[in-house]
Amino acid sequence: MSENKIYFKFDGKKYAGNEGDTIAAALLRNNVKLIGRSFKYHRPRGIYTCGIEEPNALVQIINEHNEPNVRATVKKIYEGMVVKSQNRWPSLKTDLGSINNILSPIFSAGFYYKTFMGPKGFWKNVYEPLIRRTAGLGKPPKEFKSKSIHQHHNVDVIIVGGGLSGLLAARKFAGTNYDVLLVEREDTFGGILKNADKIKSINDQPADEWLEKTERLIRNSNNIKILKNTLVTTYNFSDHLIALEDKNVGKPQDNEKPELVLHKIRTKHTILANGHIERFITFRNNDLPGVMLAASFEKYLNRYGVVPDESPVIFTNNSSTFSLLKSLTDLGHKPKAYVDIRDQKNIEKQTLELLEKFNIPFYPKSEIEGCEGKKEVKKVSIRTKKNQITKIKTSMLCVSGGFNPDIHLFTQSKGLLKWDKDYLTFKPDRIFQKTITLGSVSGNFSYEKLLVEVEKKLSEFEGLNELEVKFEINGPEKFQIKELWETKHEKKSLWSKSFIDLQNDVTTKDLRQAVNEGFNRIEHLKRFTTNSMGTDQGKISSINALGIVSKILKKDISEVGTTTYRPPYSPVNFSAIAGRSTYEFYDPERKTPLHSWHVKQNAVFENVGQWKRPWYFKKSEDETMHQAVQREAEQVRKTAGILDGSTLGKIEIKGKDALTFVNLMYTNSFTKMKPKTGRYALMLGEDGMVKDDGIVCKINEQHFIVTTTTGNAASVLAHMEEYSQTEWPNLNVYMNSITEQFATFNLSGPKSRVIMSRVFNDIDFSNDQFPFMSFNNFKYLDTEIRILRASFTGELGYEIYVPPSYALKLWQKFFISSRDFDLVPYGTETMHLLRAEKGYIIVGQDTDGTVTPLDLHLNWMIGKKKKDFIGKRSLTRSDIVRENRKQLVGLVPVDKTLGIEEGQHVIEQKDLSLPIKDPVDMLGHVTSSYFSPNLNHSVAMALIRGGKRKIGSRLFVSTENLNTIAVEVVEPNFIDPKNERMML
Amino acid sequence: MTTLTYKDGVEINQVTRQQITLRGKGDGAFAFAVNKEVSLLPPSDNLRMVDNDRFIFAKQSFDQWVLIAKNREDDQEILRMVSEINKNEAMLASNYSEGQSYFEISGEDKDHYLNKLSHFDFRDKNFPASTMVQTLVARIDCCIYKLEDKYLITCGKSYEDYLRDRLLDSVNL
Repeated sequence: MSENKIYFKFDGKKYAGNEGDTIAAALLRNNVKLIGRSFKYHRPRGIYTCGIEEPNALVQIINEHNEPNVRATVKKIYEGMVVKSQNRWPSLKTDLGSINNILSPIFSAGFYYKTFMGPKGFWKNVYEPLIRRTAGLGKPPKEFKSKSIHQHHNVDVIIVGGGLSGLLAARKFAGTNYDVLLVEREDTFGGILKNADKIKSINDQPADEWLEKTERLIRNSNNIKILKNTLVTTYNFSDHLIALEDKNVGKPQDNEKPELVLHKIRTKHTILANGHIERFITFRNNDLPGVMLAASFEKYLNRYGVVPDESPVIFTNNSSTFSLLKSLTDLGHKPKAYVDIRDQKNIEKQTLELLEKFNIPFYPKSEIEGCEGKKEVKKVSIRTKKNQITKIKTSMLCVSGGFNPDIHLFTQSKGLLKWDKDYLTFKPDRIFQKTITLGSVSGNFSYEKLLVEVEKKLSEFEGLNELEVKFEINGPEKFQIKELWETKHEKKSLWSKSFIDLQNDVTTKDLRQAVNEGFNRIEHLKRFTTNSMGTDQGKISSINALGIVSKILKKDISEVGTTTYRPPYSPVNFSAIAGRSTYEFYDPERKTPLHSWHVKQNAVFENVGQWKRPWYFKKSEDETMHQAVQREAEQVRKTAGILDGSTLGKIEIKGKDALTFVNLMYTNSFTKMKPKTGRYALMLGEDGMVKDDGIVCKINEQHFIVTTTTGNAASVLAHMEEYSQTEWPNLNVYMNSITEQFATFNLSGPKSRVIMSRVFNDIDFSNDQFPFMSFNNFKYLDTEIRILRASFTGELGYEIYVPPSYALKLWQKFFISSRDFDLVPYGTETMHLLRAEKGYIIVGQDTDGTVTPLDLHLNWMIGKKKKDFIGKRSLTRSDIVRENRKQLVGLVPVDKTLGIEEGQHVIEQKDLSLPIKDPVDMLGHVTSSYFSPNLNHSVAMALIRGGKRKIGSRLFVSTENLNTIAVEVVEPNFIDPKNERMML
Repeated sequence: MTTLTYKDGVEINQVTRQQITLRGKGDGAFAFAVNKEVSLLPPSDNLRMVDNDRFIFAKQSFDQWVLIAKNREDDQEILRMVSEINKNEAMLASNYSEGQSYFEISGEDKDHYLNKLSHFDFRDKNFPASTMVQTLVARIDCCIYKLEDKYLITCGKSYEDYLRDRLLDSVNL
């Protein structure tokens, strides 16, 4: 324990704590007991525990982005820390919200379900805003920015807990061939050895000395990795654990360094040595500040050197409070009273001797009836064995209701529990994964039996060390307990409360009411009352609730069963879950080899999957997207434009049966296709719907290169692999993705042949030598490039495939060679506009998985004589050949000054009577729409019912404000229907 | 080679390599065709590598192999090799030299460092030298080749900037 003073603020007041203190320890050191207000009733709340199980003392750390709901019993103080209490206004002492406590008789279990049923309109405008404003504890963080990282581990063994059991296990593994990870939630090892005065010596040396030697031994072994300040929050299937490490314990936040580390641990064996949690006892006003768990009180004494109170009353139903009694009396303090529900004859002689030696008022076979006090405990009422009430003035009450093995992780691992009638607790029974429980988590509360347990349970491992450990115990060795979940109330007031869940303000009265209303299954009752549904998951109270419910239902507690403990064990910050996948690394980015050039040219990028594609290029700061796209589209048809098409998928297919394979994968026939030519091709699913499109280039009968859409590149390759490996394993064919091996330029426009001739002056691009849909490989500098004559704009066009390291210079050469033509770089939006002018579809925009080639008038792409291809059978289904299927058409507004909006409905009626009461017959919807600078009006494509038959008719397209626009239905080809431009 | 960083027991270099991806049955004809070019017989076990002075030859799956040039080969030579291998009609050889980016990670803390970005078990007992794995690094699909004292990580060229930034970011955290 350090005595270095640390100054921090709580609710604006400056306090001094010691280095290493938690907020709770430091506040107790300053005699501050009122920490916050409760969730529902705004009752004053204090510090109930000394650890992660704390239900009450939740605070907001103002200087850490306003971090809310921080457990004061866990978070360590540092110089300058600013802490604020939560859920109160205007101040902690005077909280107007405490009116809820006065109104509490009406806030019984199920209040929200029953009260806020109607009227319907109130939900959105009254109830929800009101409940949202009043509910919750802390305020959300502000300007949250945190650096957290993930760290993966692969180990043979993880030991969860660096207490006595965990350390004994670690000693067994030290220096062996097993890779071991030892995880401790606190900043020091030792657990019970540090927290309580239960063990006098180990191997005839003080426990601290043994602890120090053990830690040194473990640190010096090269096979054990240690993580401190790390809480295991999750135990997943299979053998996968998640732990959260706080790197900033006792230090202010440093935005440059990781604040939290989320450890993801894959292990072969898990040793749970994570101890136990003390539980409380329910009595009247058991929530008042000043009521604290006995073991927690002792932890403050031993670990922090803080004496929360010099003369508390101790209330117990078990033998464990001996050590608190001893710790207090060793320090020269004398408890006001010792209240034990057990008969004197059943109480351990060591306890009785201490009580007698220090003349401590002793109440055997008695219980605490309740506490008095407004903002903290002032008096306690004791019901003596003669059923008389005795009141004692005190400011602190230490309670012990027994212990629960900390089974949360065990149950997360899907291990099964059983009820231990001797210790009145659930403990691990059957494992589901490779889990070993050691010590109190396994329900073993005996130090003598611990050694036997460790040896026995670790005997499955070979080559472990022998353990030679001898304990000398302070006080009773055998743990004894008598059942007590709730004491009898004396006061029958409407405002008298005995809490069963301190965080969610659930009372024992709520449990009874829930059972009376028929919620007699524990999982239903939990949800109705919200018992143990707080962020603490009822760590100190859930078993008490089961005990009380079992009494109400007159069932054995093992029959009532437990509720499910869910991961995480304790709340995990979103920043830790996100790790580095935030801000600049939110999603992996893919860039083309020309990305830097695009950036310099003021490209505005569009995300296409993970690709960053230029959407359009801003010529000036003032230029809007519409202006840029119009300019680019106009220039392409006037002279030429160039698009970075590197993102298009490219797949190389080769093998003896490559032709058969390609014929099966696509609708077209490639058998008669000449080598060194390409063909626009359609790929269907088994259902006959369009899956993808692209160009199939035939190098020879056994070697093809196909292109895919950008978004489908990976799935098309996977589709091909699947069919090759599962459906047609007889075919000798292989395929590789070569998408990133080539940058691709799409040059389009009437001047593109001239430009190509200037860039590649040794190649003849004449129609005779380089006809439409032909391609060839050419030597370029030290590499090889491929040029394909094709067009997706309807203009004369070429696609150039070049290795990335040659791409930028070649790209620049195009611009240098075409200054007189004002060659324009264009982006995806312009590409979409240009193809829409020609009526070319975009798979995924003009199709949606329900569209066949017939619907798109692409019958010409189906190889009629082909024996088979994927989707062929489906194309003859009655529904597919039905005449009134939705089919692709073109739309042109009658009033050429109007625009058509994508996604709007196409209907037959002009007027929509408002409000719309009768269904409007929707013929279809607009799939693509652009303003064509080359036609000077909007053009659109739509999928409408019986579209082919409607060509030449007039229909209407709805608008955003529920008007309609009259449109002419036309063939979906608006420019150069004879395709003369691309055949130039 | 460009040294990106050397810090805290981890050295990261970006290197230039050339790569040919091979598909085929792995039979005698396959072995002959490749051996003729690189004087290496294909490893028979999945995720195993063999090497000589010029090339690493790794088996990525039951019908996929990869050849990585250890030193800079002439581009024309790589193209020639691809062309030669492709003369075998039951094989596909694709030049991946420019479609991939290559990073070497070395240093005594390389495993711990890489486990900030990948869940893969890099321990010698699971990942001995002369083996490779295809796994996620920083959420992208990468191949990791374990050489004697370092890892060679390859990813798609389009992810180069992203992966480089993530590698450097993790060194500093």
